[in-house]
This record gives sequence, C-alpha cells and structure tokens, in this order.
Amino acid sequence: MRNEYIPFLSEIKEVIKHTEIEYTFRMAFEGEVKPGQFFEVSLPKYGEAPISVSGIGEGTVDLTIRKVGKVTGEIFEKYVGDKLFMRGPYGNGFDLENYKGHEVVVVAGGTGLSPVRGIVEYFSKNPEDAKGFTLITGFKSPQDMLFKEDIKEWANTMNLIVTVDQAPEGYTGATGLVTKFIPDLEIKDLEDVQVIVVGPPIMMKFTVQEFLKRGIKEENIWISQERKMCCGIGKCGHCKIDDTYICLDGPVFNYTKGKLLRD
Amino acid sequence: MGYQIHIEKFNDALKALASEYNIYAPKRFIGGGTYSDTDRIRYGEIQSVEEIVFDVKSEFSYKEILTPISQTLFYFTEDEVKEADGPTKGAIVFLRSCDLHAVKRMDDIYLRNGFEDFYYKRIREKTKFILMGCQEAFESCFCVDMGTNTCTNYDAFVNVKDDMVYLDGTFTDLLARMEEAVEVTVSPDFVTETKTKVHIPENLSLDVMDSSMWNEYNERCIACGRCNFVCPTCTCFTMQDVFYEGSDQKKTGERRRVWASCQVNGYTDMAGGHSFRGDKGQRMRFKVMHKVHDYKKRFGYHMCVGCGRCDDICPEYISFSACINKLSDAMQEVEK
Amino acid sequence: MDINTKKLKKNAFRVTKVRGITASRVRVPGGLINAEYLGKIQEIAEKYGNGTVHITTRQGFEIMGIKMKDIDKVNELLQPIIEGLDINQEVPGKGYSASGTRNVSACIGNKVCPFANYNTTNFAKRIEKAIFPNDLHFKIALTGCPNDCIKARMHDFGIIGMTMPQYDASRCVSCGACVKGCKSKSVGCLSAKNYRVERNAEKCVGCGVCVNACPTGAWTRSQKKYYRLAIMGRTGKANPRLAEDFLIWADEDSIVKIITNTYKYVTEYIDKNAPGGKEHIGYIVDRTGFMEFKKWALDGVELPEETIMKENVYWSGIHYK
Repeated sequence: MRNEYIPFLSEIKEVIKHTEIEYTFRMAFEGEVKPGQFFEVSLPKYGEAPISVSGIGEGTVDLTIRKVGKVTGEIFEKYVGDKLFMRGPYGNGFDLENYKGHEVVVVAGGTGLSPVRGIVEYFSKNPEDAKGFTLITGFKSPQDMLFKEDIKEWANTMNLIVTVDQAPEGYTGATGLVTKFIPDLEIKDLEDVQVIVVGPPIMMKFTVQEFLKRGIKEENIWISQERKMCCGIGKCGHCKIDDTYICLDGPVFNYTKGKLLRD
Repeated sequence: MGYQIHIEKFNDALKALASEYNIYAPKRFIGGGTYSDTDRIRYGEIQSVEEIVFDVKSEFSYKEILTPISQTLFYFTEDEVKEADGPTKGAIVFLRSCDLHAVKRMDDIYLRNGFEDFYYKRIREKTKFILMGCQEAFESCFCVDMGTNTCTNYDAFVNVKDDMVYLDGTFTDLLARMEEAVEVTVSPDFVTETKTKVHIPENLSLDVMDSSMWNEYNERCIACGRCNFVCPTCTCFTMQDVFYEGSDQKKTGERRRVWASCQVNGYTDMAGGHSFRGDKGQRMRFKVMHKVHDYKKRFGYHMCVGCGRCDDICPEYISFSACINKLSDAMQEVEK
Repeated sequence: MDINTKKLKKNAFRVTKVRGITASRVRVPGGLINAEYLGKIQEIAEKYGNGTVHITTRQGFEIMGIKMKDIDKVNELLQPIIEGLDINQEVPGKGYSASGTRNVSACIGNKVCPFANYNTTNFAKRIEKAIFPNDLHFKIALTGCPNDCIKARMHDFGIIGMTMPQYDASRCVSCGACVKGCKSKSVGCLSAKNYRVERNAEKCVGCGVCVNACPTGAWTRSQKKYYRLAIMGRTGKANPRLAEDFLIWADEDSIVKIITNTYKYVTEYIDKNAPGGKEHIGYIVDRTGFMEFKKWALDGVELPEETIMKENVYWSGIHYK
C-alpha cells in the first residue's frame, strides 16, 4: 500500500536569488510534472508548504519560494547540495494543449508569475506554437521583481509588459497595476485568444473583469487559485471551496468553473 | 435468524476476541466531563457489554478510533523518515446507525477523494462494526430526515435487554463464539421518528451565502470548533512537525496530523498572511453548506447524518438543525 | 420585663432597637434550603413577627418584629427547620444552641455553576456538623473557584475550590482555546510549545478555566478535589484585611481538622475580658503570632504530599488603630 504522506529527499541543484526574500530552488526531480502543479515541500521540524512549480528542466523542477512563513524561512538556509523533503507533484496544472495554436495572454501578479513561468518559457522557446504571446507581469516595486534574467530574455521573444505598482523617481519602466494595460492591449482575435490570470485574489478578480469587458469569453480565461493546503491530496479539507478541492480539481481552473468558487 | 445469549456469555466472547481486536464503545469516563462532578461519555476500550453506555448519546463519535485526534504519521531525522507503526490488532467498534452511515462519508474522503489515505486504510481494513440498536431517538437526533436511521452494512448488531444480548450479522469471529446461544429471530432496533426535524430546501445553492441569516452567528458563535470535533463526518486535519528537545536530537522529530475545525481561527490562513471567511457567520455557512449541500454535489448524498451531536455540544446553544431549517427562508431572501 | 440577653443572643435571637422586640436568626449551612422551609419561615414571620424577613449576608434569614415573650413559641416553630437543615442542637424544641459561630456560607458551587470545582454546600454542611453549636466567633465561607463570589477572603477561614488540571496531549489539537482562556480569564499560566500546552504549575491557581475552554476534552479535572485555604480575613474597625493563603492544594479532611483545632486554640488564647466573650480569631493570631496558631492548627493534620503550606503568613489591610 502506497503511503502518499511519506516525502522523498531531493537535492538542491541550484539556487537563484531574485530578491532578498524570493529565491528559486532548482530541485532534482525525475517524473512527469506540469507548470502550475505544486509540491508539498518540507523541512521536518518546521512543517510543509505547498509550492508551485515555476520551471521544468531535465531532471529538475524549479520551486520559487517567497520567505513568508517559518517553513519557507528555514528553506532559505538551505543551499546547493543540501536536500529538501518533497511530495508531489499535485494538482492539475496548466495543460499546454489548451493554449497551443491560439493567441495567448498571460497576466501575472507578484509570485503569481511562478506557476505560469513554465508556460511562458515554453512559448518563449516555441513561439511558432502560438499565434501570438503577451505577458503582463506586475510587481509591487522594482526590488520585488522576480525572474529578472528570464524577463530580459522574454523581451526578445514576446510582447512583454513589466509593470510595478510603485517606483522610485527616475524609474524608466512601466508603472501602474496590471489592469491598466488590458483595455488597450492589442489582441488579434478576441474570439480565439486564451487568457491566463494568476496572482493575489483581488488582482485576479479585477484583471478578469477587464478581459470580460473586452468581450473575451469566460471559457477562454484560465485562473490558478491559491489556498491553504495541508495534505495536497484531498483529505485535510482546508482548500475546499463549495464542492471543489483546489488541490485535486485545481489549482488551475477555467473561468467558467473558477468564477463559481466563492469562499 | 439470530441469537439470544446471556450477557456473561457474550462478554466471554468479547474477552476471547480481545486477543485479536481492541474493542471500542461509548463508555462513561467518571469525572471526565467538562464541569466538576460530571462524567463524559465518549469512546474508549471496553471489556464487557455492561461498560457500554446505551442510554446516553456519546459526546464524541467513534471517529477518533479511525482517525485519532492526534496521529503520528512518521518520524524523521534530517535525511530519513520512518513510517509510524500501525495498530497491531484490529478494532471492533460498537456504534449507532447514524455513525455507521458516517463511516461511509469517511471512506469517501479518505479512500476515494484523491489518493487513498494510508493511515486510514490500514485501520479501516481491520475494523468490524457492531451496530447498537436505538429503541428511541434522543432529543436532538434527526437521523430519519437524513435517511440514516436504518442500515444493513454492519458486521453484527446487538440489542441488549436486561441481561440478554440479541445479535446477528456476518462477523464470523464473533458469531462462531455463540455456541451457548439460543437461536431466535431478531432484528436491530431502529427509530422511525425523531422529535427534531429538518427540511433541506430543494433549491439550496451557494447563493445562500449572501443571506442575512448568517449574521446572527457572527455574534453568537465563539469559534471553538466543538461542533466539528464531535461531528462523526468532519474529517479535516492539520499537519504538525514536532522536533524533540535535546541538543543531540535537534534534527529528529515527528510529523503528525491533528483534527482541524473550519470554525476555529487559522483554518484558512496561508503562509503569506491571506485568509478567508473572517466572519464566524460565513464559517457557519461553510460548515452547514458542506454538510447539506456541496458534499452531495461531489459524492451524491448528504454528508450530515443527523446525529445531533453538534447541537448537544454547542456552549452557545447554536442549533445546527435549527440553522438548516432557516435555509428555505434564506433562499427566498436571496432569490428576490 | 426580665430577659437574660446573654442567653437570648446565644439562642440566636437579637436585641433590637425596639424594646421588647427581637428577631430570630435562621442559619442555612451552605446556602441550600428545601423550599418547604421557606413556608415555615413565612409562618413564623406572619404569626409572631411583623410579616417581613431579612435575607442576611451570611445566607440566613432574620425574621423580624418578634415579641420577646413569644421566643418559646417561635423556637417550637423553628424545630422542623432546624431538623430539616440537620443543625446540631442541644435541646430539641428550644431553638438554636449557639450563635457565635456564624452560618457556614457558600457560593452556589457545582450544583449549578460551571466554574465551580466542588459541591460547596456539601462541604459547608460537613463543617457545620463538625463545629456547631460552638459559640466562639468563627466565620467560615466556601467558594467554588478562585472567582470567590462568596468573598471567602473576608473570612477567618476562606475555602476556595481548586482542580489540578489533567492534560491528555493525545487529545490536544493545538487550538489555543485554553491558553487564550487562561490568559484572558485567569492567571496566564499556560503557554503553547511545540504544538502542545505547558502549564506553569507554580503560577496555576487551579481554577479550571482550561478545562471549560477545551473543545476536545484534552483538559479534564483531577479526580481528587483540592482547596486553597485562606485564613484570617476580616471586616471591622481596627484592621480590616483580606485573608492570606495558608494552604494551597489542600484536602477536605485537613481543612476540617484545622478548623476544629482552631477552636481549641481560641479557647486557650481568647482574651478572657473580651466584650461579650467575643474576639475575632485574627486578632488572637496577631497577639500570639502565626507560629503559635500554626502549631495548634496542624495538630494531627496529615497534609497530602501535593499541598503547599506557607511557612509563615503575613497580612496587610488597613490599620485604623
């Protein structure tokens, strides 16, 4: 009988520091995994936290961790060659097949960029698989920016808008909430475009509203929900909304379903 | 058919079974109640039928046998984990019809909602259920309205009258020890009517969350979680990692899970500080809707078994059944 | 009119403001009375009194407006009350045999109150049986928990109920209700550590708030009942003060023994010239010193192992003299 609660050890292959409090840990992992899925990552004695997959490589997965709780705080003390306990991947993740052959717009707020980074990477490397690709990504300030190296790279392969809520004087990039860029965003085919929105609950709500105003169909919008998840496998109950278990049925939802998820 | 056997002979059978099973039933913990000089009726190990409390509803359900309140999942060092040992013996659980229906809910969550739960399965597979017949319902019971007043999927049933035990079933380990029993026709006692009645409106939907009916609970509920802890169908838990004290063992400890309550603060807290359902009224709504609405959407039948323990336990006298009966008006309110 | 006022007072009647008029004082140990005796009190009040009854601070009844010449008849009518309340009596039919040792009063206790740690009435009755009809001036009160609703700390012997909280970690879900409850309603002796609760035993007053707060029954009350014995509190003119702790986590037997021992001590040391033969025990203790009191009080007392006894006791209060 398989015991899904027993974690496996995974070696930290690389640590990429984005900000003072946000690092990406490149972990050894062999197996199927999709962007938007998550692992329960733990350091025994401190506990587990669900961390979404922010990148998929040969024999590795990237876990971008924001230092917010005591679990993630401890993980920041870990470095290359050390090991972390992991279980997963769990959840449905983003299915690339839903986006291939369409125009794709991704809007990500803050660490919401992590679960969609795999999608962005794919279309950055395979631009011919989409009819067009736009990423609008927002951060609180220039200091909070994640995946800076990737962003430089992505600027060459897609329509990229990087915005910050607040910037010091002299900042030359875009400023303002991500919602500001949606009304005028050039979309070739409003009927066909696939939109992915990931970020804090309030950001997702208003961003989706902007797209709906532009006449984009609900079934062409995709969101990823974040909730407390202790088990990741449909048992602990914390992530349940109505009859939906975010860990099992999500965290990625088509908006036709996602809009019904009221806590 | 069935058997009639003297209580002492039945106890002999239990004694014999005790080598292979831990035997659990609702029993009296003298002085173990919340208040001074009060007892608590809850599940514990028994040796004889006389220890079983039939005339009072147990405060807590059988569920702590299948999912202990606090359960160690594994022990760890910095780079190793060792699964916690399971029970060496099987379990025999005496329980009422409502609770036996609750087992089906636990099975669906723990065995069929996503991966099978290793810890639940290993005890569940070794558990035998003996139905305690109910001659009459308690004040707060509403099993009839929830369709849980009768059942057939017990391993055995017992009716105890005076010093005789009447029983039947399929639990051969037990029935094979009934050599001295008289064969008689027996059937389990089931209630057919309850004083407390509930009506779940057909048109119930999540829209009811916008009703003003929840507001009173903001004031009344103290978010203690008793309703969840006594509920035979609540299955939520939280993980805890504990490290042992002592410098040389700093990196060793255990991971366990403990019961969680959707009414208690912190239930939805995420690492970043975000949480949901700050209002106790909305937590009440979340619980009530799970029990009589959304669980059914997922599994096809209602989660609540109508045992009424949540009504009995609430220190603020909040009645779950009374709340269900407000849902029809609340739906009218939100559909206007 | 020729009345022996000393005898009248000892018989639990009072010399009032109005010449020839007395009042009858009915004691109700532990404050619990069968309602039928209220009817008897009513009968006395309407037949021999002025139809009114004062409820005393010590949970007695004072039947007012009785003519002194009717005392014998009143005593006859008091007899079923005295018997019904199981009051020790020297001569049946002759009313109360003493009045100096006051009614042993008690809060409602665990008969009703969720906070109480014991049946205050039953313990009060046990003490009453052991000490009445002594006529020495003793004031004893029992309260169910450290809330001290009976104001036991204003008595010579204040008995405060305690429970030794029992913690079953295997039933704990780390909800924090006990820690929060202890902090906000009691002394804050609980803290969460490693998802479990730690109790600072030195700080704990045994109130039982943790038990009441616990939603899973992880906290329960001890099978044994415990008491805090606070002594020599008083109201009055010279030096009113609160009783101070003498014993903590004491048992019932020891307390009864200490109280009966104190009668011997008072008999030995009371000021023979005290007006009306009445002197508060506390002033006697002030005079002899606590150590002498303690020697007499603990004679033959075997305290449980867990009892904390104060080696010395110091009082404060207001000094007017």
